[in-house]
Amino acid sequence: MSHAGRLALVLAALAAALLATAAIAVLAGSARIAPGSVAQALAGRADPASTEAVVILSLRLPRIAAAALAGGALAVAGVGFQALTRNPLAEPSVLGVSSGAAFGVVVGQLVTTGGGIVADAVRLTVFGLGGALLAGVAVYLIAAIGGGLPVHTLLLAGVIVGIFFASATTVLTSLLDINRLGGIVHWLLGNISPIAPAPLGVFALLAGLGFALIVGRARQLNLLALGEEAAVQLGVAAERLKLRIFVGAALLTASVVAFAGPIGFVGLVVPHALRLVLGPDNRVLAPAALVAGGAFLLAADTLARTVVAPAELSVGVITSFCGAPVFVYLLRARPRGGL
Amino acid sequence: MSVLLEVRGLDFAYPPERSRSAPRFALSAVTFTLARGEILGVIGPNSAGKTTLIRLLTRVLEPAGGDIRLEGTSLRRLGRWELARQVAVVPQDVPPGLPFTVEQVVLMGRYPHAPRRFFETAADLAVAREAMEATGVDELAQASVQSLSGGERQRVTLARALAQEPRLLVLDEPTAHLDLRYQAECATLLRSINRERGVSVLLVSHDLNLAAQVSDRLLLLNEGRVARLGPPAAVLEEALLTAVYGCPVVVDRHAVTGRPMVQVAWSPLSAEGR
Amino acid sequence: MLLGPGLASGATLMDVRGATIALAVPPTRIVSLVPSVTELVFALGGEARLVGITDYCDFPPAARRKPSVGGMVAPSLEAIVALRPDVVVATDSGNRQETVDQLRRLGIAVYLVRADRFADVLDVAMRIGQLLGREPAAVALTARLQARVDAVARAVGRRPRPRVLYVVWPEPLIVPGRDAIVTELIQLAGGASITAAEPGDYPRFSIEAAVVRAPEVIVLARHGTDSVPLGRDLWNALTELPAVKTGRVHGVDGGLLHRYGPRVVDGIEHLARLLHPEAFP
Repeated sequence: MSHAGRLALVLAALAAALLATAAIAVLAGSARIAPGSVAQALAGRADPASTEAVVILSLRLPRIAAAALAGGALAVAGVGFQALTRNPLAEPSVLGVSSGAAFGVVVGQLVTTGGGIVADAVRLTVFGLGGALLAGVAVYLIAAIGGGLPVHTLLLAGVIVGIFFASATTVLTSLLDINRLGGIVHWLLGNISPIAPAPLGVFALLAGLGFALIVGRARQLNLLALGEEAAVQLGVAAERLKLRIFVGAALLTASVVAFAGPIGFVGLVVPHALRLVLGPDNRVLAPAALVAGGAFLLAADTLARTVVAPAELSVGVITSFCGAPVFVYLLRARPRGGL
Repeated sequence: MSVLLEVRGLDFAYPPERSRSAPRFALSAVTFTLARGEILGVIGPNSAGKTTLIRLLTRVLEPAGGDIRLEGTSLRRLGRWELARQVAVVPQDVPPGLPFTVEQVVLMGRYPHAPRRFFETAADLAVAREAMEATGVDELAQASVQSLSGGERQRVTLARALAQEPRLLVLDEPTAHLDLRYQAECATLLRSINRERGVSVLLVSHDLNLAAQVSDRLLLLNEGRVARLGPPAAVLEEALLTAVYGCPVVVDRHAVTGRPMVQVAWSPLSAEGR
Repeated sequence: MLLGPGLASGATLMDVRGATIALAVPPTRIVSLVPSVTELVFALGGEARLVGITDYCDFPPAARRKPSVGGMVAPSLEAIVALRPDVVVATDSGNRQETVDQLRRLGIAVYLVRADRFADVLDVAMRIGQLLGREPAAVALTARLQARVDAVARAVGRRPRPRVLYVVWPEPLIVPGRDAIVTELIQLAGGASITAAEPGDYPRFSIEAAVVRAPEVIVLARHGTDSVPLGRDLWNALTELPAVKTGRVHGVDGGLLHRYGPRVVDGIEHLARLLHPEAFP
C-alpha cells in the first residue's frame, strides 16, 4: 500500500475511535438525558431553550470540542519535542515548557485586562507562548553539552525549569486576591471547560498553526533522527528546522495552557502508544497524534466529569495518573542512546 | 580525466570557544583535485583534519578561506539540496537506537531529490530497492536497523548514500567498526560501485592498508596541511610516514596486489617490554 | 440598602456586584452555590423553592435531601442547567468567576452575594428574603439576629477584652486578618484578635509571632462536624503561653464563624461565652 493510502487508513480508523468516544461523551453526564433526546438535540429538533438543547449544544458539544482539540494539540507537541530532542520522554510537562506557559499566562492575567473574550484568548496564548519559549530555551541551555542533549541531563533540566516556573507562578498568585486564587489553582490542575464558539475558533486557529509548523516538516524530522550532521548532509536546514519545530510545539502547548491549564503527559502517552502500532515515521505519527490525542483527552475528560458526578475531577489529575507509569516504563525500557 | 572536485587553498579554524578544551583542529592551504571516476584516499593521524575536510565538503562548516568547486561551481553557489544530490556521505554508523527500518533509512536518501514532497514516490522506492540490492541488504528491507550487525548497518548507510544518486561518495572511516571479513567485503563493494556506477569516491580512513588497496591516489594530511598527494607508492614512504605518525614504520608489498603495505616497526625494546 | 419593589410580579434586581438581573416571574427554582445562602433559604422558610445545592451545603440537615450540583469550585454546569433554575445564587468569594461567566453565557440569571462584615450578613439575609418574596420573614430574622448581638454587646461591653488567637488552620498557620469577618465576630464577642491588623482576609502567620503576642485565649476552628479541634497538641506544648497556663484553648465549629449565614450569631454567642464565662452565668 502507498504511504498516503496507509496514512488515510490510519486516520480513518482513529477518527472512528474519536467519534465513538465523542458519542459516549455526548451521552454521558450528570444531567440524565435519554439517548433519544440527545439525538433530537443534535439534530436541532429540540426547543433551543430546553434543558436538553442547552446541555447538549452549549455544554457537552463545546466541551467535547475543547477536549479533543487540547488533546490533539498536546499529543502533536509531544511528537514535536520528541523528534527535536531525539528522546521519547520529551513532552511539554516533562520539559517544563507547560510550567513556563502557565507562568506566562498568569503574568498575562496580571498585567492586562479587557478587550473581549477573543482578544483575551489571543493575548493569554501569546503570553503563554512567551513563557513556553523562555522555559524551552532555559532547558536547552542547561542540558546542551558539547552540541548534544544527553537524555538524563535533559530530563533533569526539564524538572528544574518546571519547578522554577511553578514556584514563580506561586509567587505571582500569592499577589492575587484570595478569591481569584481558587480559580487559578483549579486552572493550574488542568481542566477542560466548554468554550464559546468564538474563542474556540481562536484556539483551533492557534493550535492549527502549531500543527502545521510541525506536520509540514515531518519528513525532515525523520532525517533529523539520523543525527544533525547527517541531516544537514542530506540537505536539511537543521537549525531552521529545529527552531520551527520548537516554536510549533511551544505554540501548541501555550494554546492548551491558556484555554485549559497545564495538562500533563498526554504528549507522552499518546505518541508512545502510536509508535508501538504505527512505527516511528513522523509523517504518520504527527497527524495520527492529532486525532488519537483528541480521543484520549476526550475519554479522560469524560471520566473527569462523570466518576464523581455531579462534582468534577481535574482532567490533568487523570492524565498524570495514566502518564506517570508510562514515563517510568519508558525510562526503564528505553534502549541506550536515542529514540 | 576531467576534474569533478577541486579544492584550492582551503583554510579553516574552529571558533576559539569550541577548541578551548580540545586540540585546535584546522585546515590550512589544502589544495587537491579529484577526477571523475577516481577513488581518492584521505589518510593522516588523528586530528590531521580529515573529519573537518568532510564537513567542509558537505557545508556542515563553511571555509574561512579558499574555495571548493564541484564541476567548476563553487559550493557557496549550490543550494543544500543541489549539493546533497551530488555529494553523499556514508557515516561511520547510524545513531544508536534509531527506530527506523532498513527501507525507511535508505529512502531518506531520496530527500534531496524532492524535498517538498511529503511522501516518497514509487520511483523513489525503485531507486532505494536498487541501492539495497547493490549493497546486499534488500532481504533486510523490513528489519529494524537496530537489529542488524555492524557490517549490515554499514551496508545500509552505503545504500542510503547510493539512493542519493551522487557523483561523489564520501566515506567516513567505513571500516571503523568492522571485523576483518566485513572490511574485505567493504573494499570489494566499494570498488564495484566505483567501477559500475562511475561514482567518484573520497575515502577517509585511518586504515592505511585499506586506503592503499582501494585508492587510485592518496592524500596524506598532517596537522591540517597536505603532507603529500600522489599514487599510493609515492605517498606511503617509510621516512614520510615515520615523520608524520611519529613512530617507525616499514613499508612492504602486498603479496597479491603488489600495492604498498604499512606495518608498525616494533622496536626490539618495546617488543621485550611486553 | 435594600431597594426595588417586591417580586410579586417580577422585577429587576441588582446584586452586590452591581449586576442587574431581570426575573420575569418570581423565581420558583433557585440553585444555591453558597452554603450560607442555603442556610438562609431554610431559615426564611423558602426551601420549597430551593432546587439545587452544593456538596458543602450541610446545614440544616434537611438541606442534604436537596439534589447537589457538585462542589463550590467546580460544580457541574449541566447538572445546574438540568435543574432549570430561574436564578443561581453564587458568591465571588468561593465560587469561580468562570462558573458565573459560563452560566450567564447560557442565559441563566446569576445573583452574586458577598459578606465581609456582620452588617453584610444582615444585608444578604434581606436580599435572599427579597429573592424569595419573603421580606417579612427576612425583616423578622434580621431583627432577631441584631437583638441577640446587641444582648451580647451589653453583657461583655465594659469587660476587659482578652487577647485571642483564632486558628483557621494549624499547619501552615492560617489566621483571620484585617478583612476577615471572623475578626469582627471576635470583636463583637468581646475579644481582641491578636491578628486583627494583619493584611488581607486569611493570611499565613508565623507561630513565633503568635507566641510573642501572648494570646490569653486560643480558639481552634473545626472544619466539618465530626472533626476534632485541629492541632491542639501543638499549642498545649507551648506551656508558657497565658492561654495554655490557664487552660483556655478551645475548639469551635468553623461552620458557625466562617460562613455568613444566620448561625454567625450562634458563633458570636458561643465565642462570647468562651471569652467571658463570668458574664453568662
